[in-house]
Amino acid sequence: MAIQSLPVIAEPLGARERLYLREVVRGVGITAGHFIHNLFGIRDPNPEVLERRGFNLDAAQQYPEERKQLPPGYRGMHRLVPREDGKPRCVACYMCATVCPAQCIYIEAGEYDAEGIEKYPVRFEIDELRCIVCGFCVEACPKDAIRMDTGRHSPAVLSRGLATFDKEALLEGPAVTHPTDVLTYGKPARGGAAGHRT
Amino acid sequence: MSHATAHAPELEVSGRGRGITSAEIVRGTFWTVVFLVFLFAVGLVYALLVAGLQKLLGHDWGHAIGSILSVVLLFVMVLGALLTMADRKWGSLVQDRLGPNRARLPIPGLKNSSFGGIPHLAADVVKMLTKEETVPAAGARFVFNLAPALAFGPVIVLFGVVPMSPDFPLWGESVRLQVADVDQGLLVVFGAASIAVLGTTLAGWASNSKYALLGGMRASAQMISYEVTLGLTLVGLMIVFGTLKLDEMTAGQATHVWGWLPAWGVFFQPLAIIAYFAAANAELKRAPFDLPEGESEIVGYFIEYSGLKFGLFMISEYVEVVIFAGLFTAMFFGGYHLPWGEASLAQLLGPTAMGLVQLWVFIVKTVFFCWLSLIVRWTFPRFRYDQVMNLGWKMLLPLSLANVLVTGAAMLWGGREAAAAVGLAELALLLAYVIGAPAISRSGEESSLAPPSHEAPAAHAAH
Repeated sequence: MAIQSLPVIAEPLGARERLYLREVVRGVGITAGHFIHNLFGIRDPNPEVLERRGFNLDAAQQYPEERKQLPPGYRGMHRLVPREDGKPRCVACYMCATVCPAQCIYIEAGEYDAEGIEKYPVRFEIDELRCIVCGFCVEACPKDAIRMDTGRHSPAVLSRGLATFDKEALLEGPAVTHPTDVLTYGKPARGGAAGHRT
Repeated sequence: MSHATAHAPELEVSGRGRGITSAEIVRGTFWTVVFLVFLFAVGLVYALLVAGLQKLLGHDWGHAIGSILSVVLLFVMVLGALLTMADRKWGSLVQDRLGPNRARLPIPGLKNSSFGGIPHLAADVVKMLTKEETVPAAGARFVFNLAPALAFGPVIVLFGVVPMSPDFPLWGESVRLQVADVDQGLLVVFGAASIAVLGTTLAGWASNSKYALLGGMRASAQMISYEVTLGLTLVGLMIVFGTLKLDEMTAGQATHVWGWLPAWGVFFQPLAIIAYFAAANAELKRAPFDLPEGESEIVGYFIEYSGLKFGLFMISEYVEVVIFAGLFTAMFFGGYHLPWGEASLAQLLGPTAMGLVQLWVFIVKTVFFCWLSLIVRWTFPRFRYDQVMNLGWKMLLPLSLANVLVTGAAMLWGGREAAAAVGLAELALLLAYVIGAPAISRSGEESSLAPPSHEAPAAHAAH
């Protein structure tokens, strides 16, 4: 089988370019120009690189010190949303664990004795190393109990076990109450809702 | 610059890189002056070291030990070691990055300063010293261990013949920063430089690795090819100055042609400078001639080396940069001489201060050419192997041969003045070519160099 070569369409070099020396000098001029700019210019530390001004041309971010402003919809690490009394809103329905494509959520359910809702997570653990940050758990949650709005990346840890976050570590942020919360916590809701209680 | 389009350069789009502020000018001037003063102080330390040892051990021994210490160990080695960091740091400046700055010294109050990346030097040394030494089981063990020394040793010797300063009185002693004042000068340089080929070739062979062998083969072919050019480019200089001794060559460059033109090699041999610079970069195996290393494909002749043996290869590369910059200065750019006004300056300063100033001039020039060499490395992509060979044998070698012929003819015809006139004419032509009108319109050439029509190639017709 014959090897077919693709036609190379290149602009022919001019006489000066073929002598190469002129282009060499021009190239060194460009790099030396950047060198002078960055050597003498005072660096603008604005994390938004495109908005930097001044003589300096540096386009790098010093990551831990200079952090880019994250966009509003950015998915960071998870948190469990607390309710008014400080317990998680989570009702241990397993929807997030079921939908999770990376299977990084582990839940053990327990039952409340004296509250309007039946279940709560005894254990709720997320392995942030397995998480692929798809956000399906947030979409699947019927109780708005898990969010990814912390704005933090997965943290650097010294061993794998430390990247698994338990319920206490995940529970943070302001308490949230929705008008659609059918059962109010602590006391039975009016109407037939009381029938759910044991 | 990858986002720059053909129509609007990036600088104009973002409005960056325009208008240097006065604060930046003040700051830049201040640090430039500090740097130059630092270089002067360094030169003073070198000279004082030699003078002190001469007092202590007598003139001969003191000069021998002192100049080896100050010139080879303190100047070449320290500058070479600093260049390993400068290469990364200056490369980052060229590419609009920040470069290595994470190694920091635990000095109270200064802990957040990266000192221009200098602590990385210490980190690198510690890393190399503590790495495991590996020797390929099927390699030639003795040669494998010998090769780094063969690559590094001759390089160190090279600088011995370069004069860094004239004789000048200091501390009651007559001081001169040059290790050996041998009659064969340049021949010693060529001899020692060609031994360095052995180191790289043997390293490639003794490693018993395909990649190392490829690198070693490339290195031997390339370095031997360019040694021819390297030697021939300097023949013109030998004709002009009538000597092989580098200090006589430097002394010859203190004079003036027609009373105003400094008799620097650059004005006699502009073509030779270009050929020499290209050939020297090829000889150093540095980008754009770094095929023996070929980092991205074969890693090169030192692929099997670890720890400080690899470190020797690496540092010898940078030491070679210093040495070729020093040779470049001594041969083409007047050595330790200023272009004009040396006589009146000497009267003003007296011999001691003048000697120190000349030493400083040499150091500044050498540092500048080290910078140029590193900038070249960060500017050009690597040549293909056939391009390297074509450039060496078909362009630089004929150029240097023609240069020898023209220089010799001019010297025979009209002596140094004729050679200077020819050199100035060459320089004028080069300048006109480089800064002249933009390239010739391409449309007129397309008929002769049109790409082959890909409508119906013969291969298609056959099927």
